[in-house]
Amino acid sequence: MSDYKKPIPVPSLESQPYWDGLREHKLLMPRCDACGHYWFPPSLLCRHCSSAKWSWTATSGRGRIFSYVVYHRVYHPGFADEVPYAVAVIELEEGPRMISNVIGIAPDKLVCDMKVEIAYQAISPTVTLPKFKPVAG
Amino acid sequence: MSALRDKYAIVGTGKSRLGQVGANSLSLLEEAIKNALDEAGLTNNDLDGLVVRGADDIYAHHQLVAARLGIDVDFSTSLDNGGASQILAIILAVMAIEAGLATTVVCGYGRDSWTRTHQKGVEIAQNDLIPAAQRPREHGPEFGHFGAVSQHAFGARRHMFEYGTTRRDFAAIATAFREHALRNPEAVMKKPMSIDDYFAARLVVDPFGLFDCSLNTDGAGAVVVTSAERAKSLRQKPVLIKGFATHNNTKGWIEEDHMLSTGAVESGARAFRMAGLGPKDVDTAQIYDCFTYMVLTQLEDYGFCKKGEGGAFVSSGALRLDGSLPTNTSGGQLSEAHVEGMLQIVEGARQLQGIYGPQRQVPDAEIALISGHGGNQVCHSTLILGRA
Repeated sequence: MSDYKKPIPVPSLESQPYWDGLREHKLLMPRCDACGHYWFPPSLLCRHCSSAKWSWTATSGRGRIFSYVVYHRVYHPGFADEVPYAVAVIELEEGPRMISNVIGIAPDKLVCDMKVEIAYQAISPTVTLPKFKPVAG
Repeated sequence: MSALRDKYAIVGTGKSRLGQVGANSLSLLEEAIKNALDEAGLTNNDLDGLVVRGADDIYAHHQLVAARLGIDVDFSTSLDNGGASQILAIILAVMAIEAGLATTVVCGYGRDSWTRTHQKGVEIAQNDLIPAAQRPREHGPEFGHFGAVSQHAFGARRHMFEYGTTRRDFAAIATAFREHALRNPEAVMKKPMSIDDYFAARLVVDPFGLFDCSLNTDGAGAVVVTSAERAKSLRQKPVLIKGFATHNNTKGWIEEDHMLSTGAVESGARAFRMAGLGPKDVDTAQIYDCFTYMVLTQLEDYGFCKKGEGGAFVSSGALRLDGSLPTNTSGGQLSEAHVEGMLQIVEGARQLQGIYGPQRQVPDAEIALISGHGGNQVCHSTLILGRA
């Protein structure tokens, strides 16, 4: 793992529980105790009803590709051997959208609204990335 | 707001040299301000206000600009709304004058991204100019996601999926603006571009290729704003400020339908209301063209065509100088130079002054609509100008 050349995420005080969850293969999102709204990334108040009471809650890890792009230009040397690679906006079944990669499929086979599910990818003993793969069948 | 319609005016416009100039952003901006003041028949000592888009890497930017001009001012600040800042600067100038805080305000922006990406003999990405402390540290870079090209490309992809828009529609935008640039001696791009040239260019972040992306250039623009009353005694025929508004989709670019439906929906509707006008009244549009797709979606959002019909609209030839809506008649940021919307304001004003020869003048242009878009893809501004 020490030869890992890509950017390693730097958790904030607010996002640390999210990264802790991923390490245990859970995709946690803030969920409002009052109205049930999920959102991401974390913030102090529910983005729907402004309640201050919310909990990190496990999601299904399933969703769809809302949109995606295919990088041909290398913006970071860690991705020099990866191009062309796909970056997607994933919309989880629970609502929140997040940036990720779609793996296990050629970029030119992707389409918007394709169903995907989470694929945990450990990059170090402390950091696991939430990537996504097409749902089988 | 309609009480302010036609009460304020642009009385001078200026550009700096454009392209691979090799000057810093402050000196480029000073050059543009000097040219705008000259055109207005004013000097630095006539200015009592200054509103500029802050260069992201320069603290207290407006203070440095005013220091170079050797002026104390009653009102000045730097703005932080990306490419939506330049129209916002004019809005703030009008508000300041209306409130009695100033009388004559210069608005401008200078950018030296070509020089700064070529300092070390090897070209670096414009994204690498963003100060390290401002870059995201999670939820993006770990997936190889960087910069504005790909964020906008998400919108293009979803639009293609929902409405059947194609890269050929984007090519119609890029080639129309290139054709305009060939008529503009100040434009950086001098070579014709065919549809085949567009498709032959390398992909950057698919669905965007090289010619979907605005230019990496040095350059600056500036305009002087004062009251329409005061404008009567100045050298130039003024251009009247008829309407303006802003709207920021600050929930986020990837939230809701924001990548398909920009803040132009709201800022456009309110600016049209203030001006007492609608899309059919617009003779020329200067649309913020950081990427081809952004032109297409904003044209829909302003109501020049229906949502989803932008592809057919731009492919009909509507944007060409002889089309139904001559758009980005200088070549825009795709083919003239990229100064985050500042040159679009200059071009809109000059078309209404009617200063160009027939090769580049929109005949009988009376109303111009100008857009600004930027920040984290979410800030939007609209300016409607009219011939005096």
